[in-house]
Amino acid sequence: MSIFEYNGSAIVAMAGKECVAIGSDLRFGVQLQTLATDYKKIYKIHDQLFLGLAGLGTDAETLSQRFAFKHNLYRLREERDIKPSAFGQMVSATLYERRFGPYFCQPVIAGLEPDGTPYLCGMDSIGAQETAKDFMVAGTATDSLLGICESLWRPDLGPEELFETVSQALLSGQDRDCLAGWGAVVYVITKDKVIARTLKGRMD
Amino acid sequence: MMRISCPLIDGPATSAAQDACGLRELGVGGAPVDSFPLPAVQDIDSFEREVVEYVKPNHGTTTLGFIFQGGVIIAVDSRASQGSYISSQTVKKVIEINPYLLGTMAGGAADCQFWERNLGRQCRLYELANGKRITVRGASKLLANTMFSYRGMGLSMGTMVAGWDEAGPGLYYVDSDGQRTKGKLFSVGSGSLYAYGVLDEGYRWDLSVEEAVELGLRSIYHATFRDAASGGTVSVYHVTQEGWTKVRGEDVGELHFRFYPDPAKHPCNSVDPLAV
Amino acid sequence: MDFLCGIRGRDFVMVCSDTSAVQSIVTMKQDEDKLVPVDSHRLFAISGEAGDRVNFSEYIIANVRLYALRNGSQLSTKAVANFTRSELATALRKSPYQTNLLMAGYDEGSGPALYWCDYLATLHHMNICGTGYGSYFVLSMWDKLWHPDLSQDEALELMRKAVAEVRARLVVAPPKYLVKVVDKDGIRTVAEL
Repeated sequence: MSIFEYNGSAIVAMAGKECVAIGSDLRFGVQLQTLATDYKKIYKIHDQLFLGLAGLGTDAETLSQRFAFKHNLYRLREERDIKPSAFGQMVSATLYERRFGPYFCQPVIAGLEPDGTPYLCGMDSIGAQETAKDFMVAGTATDSLLGICESLWRPDLGPEELFETVSQALLSGQDRDCLAGWGAVVYVITKDKVIARTLKGRMD
Repeated sequence: MMRISCPLIDGPATSAAQDACGLRELGVGGAPVDSFPLPAVQDIDSFEREVVEYVKPNHGTTTLGFIFQGGVIIAVDSRASQGSYISSQTVKKVIEINPYLLGTMAGGAADCQFWERNLGRQCRLYELANGKRITVRGASKLLANTMFSYRGMGLSMGTMVAGWDEAGPGLYYVDSDGQRTKGKLFSVGSGSLYAYGVLDEGYRWDLSVEEAVELGLRSIYHATFRDAASGGTVSVYHVTQEGWTKVRGEDVGELHFRFYPDPAKHPCNSVDPLAV
Repeated sequence: MDFLCGIRGRDFVMVCSDTSAVQSIVTMKQDEDKLVPVDSHRLFAISGEAGDRVNFSEYIIANVRLYALRNGSQLSTKAVANFTRSELATALRKSPYQTNLLMAGYDEGSGPALYWCDYLATLHHMNICGTGYGSYFVLSMWDKLWHPDLSQDEALELMRKAVAEVRARLVVAPPKYLVKVVDKDGIRTVAEL
């Protein structure tokens, strides 16, 4: 069993029309043992930028704290929030710092650029960036999530449609994975607000 | 190709049965069970160990059985997994050997299905030869003998044989190591430890039938919640003097929200998942 | 085999641990207290390799007390938990401590808190939790019996049932257990099972 599958996770992010959505499952487990069902893998960097960290729980926690710290310093120096594309480079560089002893995490970045265009990006554990115009997935349920995302995603979805699409994809995808599920959270980022909702899912 | 013969499977009783009924002449009962072709390799032991990895057995399961004042309860989940992938949520893990005998499945799906079907065949032949039903003791011994004759060859099976015979209710645990144990309360599979926790806490001999069914259901449900490799639906069977009946079949997806309508009151929710 | 478990009730946290000190296949003693106080209202329940267990907890506790002396105020349970996690995470990629721990505490204002942390430094707040093989039998039982308004008497009953189950089912079950509670009045030993 891979160290990436030790705790279990499922993350999906999708781009819509002037909005992006990111969601994750809520399971926290150690291999096959489920310990909690209130453990989300999504971290807020600022109002227009969210980060999902799939993989080993401890490294996700460490990384999220490092990114919060780095973003605080960035804000002090620049007196503005970081752009999602710039944050993507920062995450990539931070991961590559540990090229020979990586953090066992796969990040997914979802945000809106200052002009309102969606930004989506995923990475492997040592920072190889992969940007996408449609959707990005990570975690233990990627195989099933990719399939359902391919079939559900449409261009230019509005915030509510996007929420529905991400939710359906996430719930269907994680239902085929032992190590992810037990409920989910979804955040939809629009220019003027963030919609945050929990989803009811299968609890087995 | 080498062949092995397994006289233990077609023990004296079944051979007699075949002769008595003239089944052999009809070409019935001579299923290719008595010998499996073996792979033409030098070292069969290490080959078998390797091949088990390709067969990917269904290890994730929770099954339980217990005897109480009102008969025997058998309850199982319905998930099949290959690694962390859920290959099915609707597996039938109770094998209805005959109207008075049930077998449960844990371990390799193919091994359980094949050998319990084979057990059903042997039990039927016993009935034809002797004009009476086989006892639970006898049936479980047939299965255990089969398992023992194949020990060390990579079979994976943990099963309970439950039923009713002239001695009353019967429950045996039989596995692929050849172990066979009589008992009042068993749970088998990756989720069995969780099932034991709930089962032991709620078990009493004088449970009413409704209480016993509910306990079986609840034990499997809690195991599916904690064990990632168990899930799907919970099926509960009740065995009495009149044979077995399937009494419950419920989707865990709905069961959870019946037991815990308010997520805030569930022990596994202690922080607000939306807080960022 | 170490066994730890904890329950968070309405206004208290109750933790239970076995009291065996083991070396190889030998039980060296039966009165090892693995529920160590950090300060007046916080305690660690620690399992794992004997040397790591004692060294790590003493290091954390000394630093938490030093902080209190320097700043004239005690750290909250959440702060202690996150400090512990951080130290464990830093050590993880140098020379890891083989310790799993539960952190129980009571704070004015925020009430009772129970944190679960494994040797990888994965930290999470929980209502019921356990470590070791014993937790497999106990967690499902508590899933059924736990409720948010649990009283101390009910929690102690849950502990008794848990220990009885571990004794009945676990091949390597330890013989003796200690139960402590943390609430607004501080830390107390409530039972030896």
